[in-house]
Amino acid sequence: MSVLTMFIPLFKRRLGALSLTLLLSVVTLASGIALLGTSGWFITATALTTLGLGFNLFVPSAMVRAFSFVRILARYGERFVGHNATLKLLSDLRGWLFGALFPRLPLADRSIRHGDIVSRLTADIDALDVAFLVAVGPMLGALLIGTVMTVVLALLLPGAAIIYGACIGLAAIAVPVILVLVARKAGRDTVLAAADARIAVYDAINGHADLTILGVLGSAHARFNDIAERLRDRRLLLAALTSGAAVLVQFLAALALVGTLWQGLAAQEAGTLDPAVLVGLVLAVLGSFEATGVIVRSVGKSLAAFAAAERLNALTQVPPAIVEPAHPKPFPTDHSVTLSDVHFSYDAGAPVLKGVTLTMAQGERIAIAGPSGGGKSTLLHLLLRLAEPHCGTIRIGTTRLSDIKSSEVHAHIALLSQDSPVFIDTIRNNLRVARAAADDEALWQALAVARLDTFVASLPQGLDTVVGESGRTLSAGQMRRLCLARTLLSQASIILLDEPTDALDRANEIAFFETLRAATVGKTVIMVTHADVPPGTVDRVVEMRNGTIRD
Amino acid sequence: MTKQAKSAGKTLSRLQRRAGASLWWAIALPLVSGGLLVWQAATLAHVVGQAVESRVELTALLPSLALILALMGARALFSGIGDWLGTRGAEAIKQALRQDLLAGLLARSPRRQDQPHSGAAVTAIIDQVEALDGYFARYIPAAAQAALLPLVFGAIILPLDWVAGTLFLVSAPLIPLFMALVGWGAQAATDRQAQALSRLSGRFADRLRGLLTLKLFGREAAETDGIMLASENLRRRTLRVLGIAFLSSAVLEFFAALGVAGVALYLGLTFIDFLHLRSSPLTLELALFLLLMAPEVYNPLRLLAAHYHDRAAAKAAVAEIEAQLGFLTDGVPTLSDAAPCLGRALAVTLSGVTLRTPDHQRVLVENIELDIAPGQHIALLGPSGQGKSTLLDAIAGLRTHEGDILLDGKPLGDWPEHHLRARTFLLTQRPRLLHASLADNIALARPGASRRDIETAAERASVMPFAAALPYGLDTIIGEDGLGLSGGQAQRVALARLFLRDAGLILLDEPTAHLDPALEAEIMSALLAYARGRTLIVATHSHAAAAQLDKTWRIAGQSLVPVAISAKRKGVA
Repeated sequence: MSVLTMFIPLFKRRLGALSLTLLLSVVTLASGIALLGTSGWFITATALTTLGLGFNLFVPSAMVRAFSFVRILARYGERFVGHNATLKLLSDLRGWLFGALFPRLPLADRSIRHGDIVSRLTADIDALDVAFLVAVGPMLGALLIGTVMTVVLALLLPGAAIIYGACIGLAAIAVPVILVLVARKAGRDTVLAAADARIAVYDAINGHADLTILGVLGSAHARFNDIAERLRDRRLLLAALTSGAAVLVQFLAALALVGTLWQGLAAQEAGTLDPAVLVGLVLAVLGSFEATGVIVRSVGKSLAAFAAAERLNALTQVPPAIVEPAHPKPFPTDHSVTLSDVHFSYDAGAPVLKGVTLTMAQGERIAIAGPSGGGKSTLLHLLLRLAEPHCGTIRIGTTRLSDIKSSEVHAHIALLSQDSPVFIDTIRNNLRVARAAADDEALWQALAVARLDTFVASLPQGLDTVVGESGRTLSAGQMRRLCLARTLLSQASIILLDEPTDALDRANEIAFFETLRAATVGKTVIMVTHADVPPGTVDRVVEMRNGTIRD
Repeated sequence: MTKQAKSAGKTLSRLQRRAGASLWWAIALPLVSGGLLVWQAATLAHVVGQAVESRVELTALLPSLALILALMGARALFSGIGDWLGTRGAEAIKQALRQDLLAGLLARSPRRQDQPHSGAAVTAIIDQVEALDGYFARYIPAAAQAALLPLVFGAIILPLDWVAGTLFLVSAPLIPLFMALVGWGAQAATDRQAQALSRLSGRFADRLRGLLTLKLFGREAAETDGIMLASENLRRRTLRVLGIAFLSSAVLEFFAALGVAGVALYLGLTFIDFLHLRSSPLTLELALFLLLMAPEVYNPLRLLAAHYHDRAAAKAAVAEIEAQLGFLTDGVPTLSDAAPCLGRALAVTLSGVTLRTPDHQRVLVENIELDIAPGQHIALLGPSGQGKSTLLDAIAGLRTHEGDILLDGKPLGDWPEHHLRARTFLLTQRPRLLHASLADNIALARPGASRRDIETAAERASVMPFAAALPYGLDTIIGEDGLGLSGGQAQRVALARLFLRDAGLILLDEPTAHLDPALEAEIMSALLAYARGRTLIVATHSHAAAAQLDKTWRIAGQSLVPVAISAKRKGVA
């Protein structure tokens, strides 16, 4: 539960609205109880009165009407304020997550890779936002209501106060706490089983071709079924525990009611309690268990919120990949690149780079060829300061790369990777990711260099055409060109390309390389590729094998 | 109601049948519990009425007190069990649906163009199916209660007091009507809002996916602000819609409160002889019973209102699943593994075969002829993008083709799928590894393979040298897409699968692409030793590899040309 403390600052910012929600929910519950209690008292009093038409009708009927309207208004207010606070919290959470993620990129790393990270993050955020409204709110509300009712009983019917107080205390505190303790493992198992099911689908779809070829679709499907059945069983266990707790709470409500009735009848018989007050109290007790009814279900839901909090929390525990220099130096004007004897490995794994030495003059264009997985992409990441070499140095001009702030590095070195995304947004906004202030002229120029201008001009909405995701508007080749245009727009003087033509067929690949040659005149270009590069595209091809470069 | 929503509703009721008896019990138990509630209220009213009006001693009432306790206990049990059974029904439906969806996806050709990407499939099979939970577990039982209980309660009350009975019977069915009236205007806005919401979470997911790109362009602050701004805008608009939507629940609350307050006032006024609507005198017992039942008449409706959004969520999920996966049917194929079957090497005959790119835009090879004798070893050369991989895919029966492809003289289409899989092996250019141990990834080729067999296979594919350097050797878990392994290492793990098979035809696509010459030679010799007596087709860039095979063909200008390669010439094509 301690992971929830993580999010306390976020909740604190919305403390006012959340408290108001709580207050309104308590008012709603209290007026409901008062409505029932007053009604019970009222009809009993009228039934027993000998005054006939002389009975003071005005006060009780006014109270009944007042409680009704207070209840309606309070409920409306509670829902409105509560949803507003929740939605604000959700905005905060999204912002917080982005803020926490950026310095920790790239997340390509080991600890966090369960199924599709993205859908997991969105699901976790959504699970967390209800944490207050579904768990904390009702529990506090029930406690407040229970305390007030116990005090009222203590004043009017002391014998019942003990029974009632014990029952509502057990229902509002003990049962939820026991449920959390008992169901925590079941809750975590459920989350784990769901994560496993995610991975199983992911594996089955990604490996579909291989599974088909090997003729083992049956096993793959059976494996998923086992996990899906485990998920089902875990959830059923969790549901059984939650339902059991709900039954317990209702038993306690029954005990409180019958106990109050018993004590009340005894007091009435003894003449120490007015019959009308007795009926009013019994009905009020009955009404007060509306408050505990939702607790158990909320606790069940909050178990998922805890798991989500734990996983989001894990993200913020990942240490940032690099340390920014204490006394940063400016990005040099000499854009030559020198790598001397660079070594690197991920975590404690096998070395990926084993002594890379490479010198590039300013404005030179080279291609790094060689088997994929040989460390080429890692090399580009080091050049972008997304990770630090274990030993050896990288210099731009004569300045060590590690002496330059990473934001400076990114302003001067741009990457076009094989999975550079086209965002779900207009073409204009997709381009402006690279340079927010770029005017249309600059955008068209970049599109022209990437040879996409004619196509974009032919679209009815031109630069305002929404693209991305399904990629219906753009072909794979056009998407690459859009990403190239974006990269060029950034005005970086060193351009890194990581398998830029991986998703293209050969005809598109050749066309892309031709565009590239024209588009990068005067820039330093490092391109990692295993494609056949047409002559003239680059000045030099070096080969990288087993983590070393042979010039 | 739109057409789509209607068809989603039909799909949901079809799915409901798969829950079995659980769901029926989940519907029935709360109804029984509702019946017991009437008994409980009557007993409670009786006890109080007897004690207050008739001055009956407490000891005489103790059995009735015990009965109240028992009734409340029984109702608690019934509702707990009902809840659980509802969950069980929903879980059964979700689990069956997940199995079917995955089976349906896997049964299609892996080379289908409209096959959803893994992210979309995960979202549909895991998240969207989960969204059906509330509908089956809670909405359906709540709907049954809302439809029956208020009327039953009203019918019981009517003969006891026609005023209260009429009030309940008239107001209860009116509530949904008023809610609908208020909700009407909000509905369109709510739909638009739901769309805006899914657009925002879409945008959120989209940006998360491209986070590294955004970071590299220095967009940290701008994007964080952008997401928060979009989120805030949505909040403001959502609230405007919710403001109306909450009105409909306020209407419900209004009626519920009015019911209680109205009944209380009516009873009070009758007691003090202000109202004379009853033919018989009113007793406290009856008055209490009516007052106790008043909120209960409206409770089922409030329950339904609380779960109403579950229905909309489920319909949206069904529509989304159908949009993503393109189907949601009952007729799902059962998947089973291909049983291994022994046999000789296969002869391969291509006659007049034409292959196109998946979008049918471009012809890769046209009208090619090829005869490969059983046990012959063939190399296919040619630059990438010329159709080598597509040709191997086609021979393995994964792609549509024009012309005839015959294995052992029998057209591909006449081969039972299982038989074809058992007799052929294809190593693709980008084999996928599962999130499992290296050993499990290799054993995929033969479920139930012994440890010794797996190790031998790993040895032959030169997996052992790098596996030994990993923390748990062959038992090291590797990630999705072979994360943690280099391309060449992943390729070798996939190749090791070959040695667990007994294929008469082996098709290898660039098996040595990522390897240095020494390793290439080592693996080629292991391959050739294993391929003795089997037909082998290797697509490769490497002349060195090609030189070790019986014959070499090259794809050039959409046709197959025989090439003569001397073993001495080595290099890269």
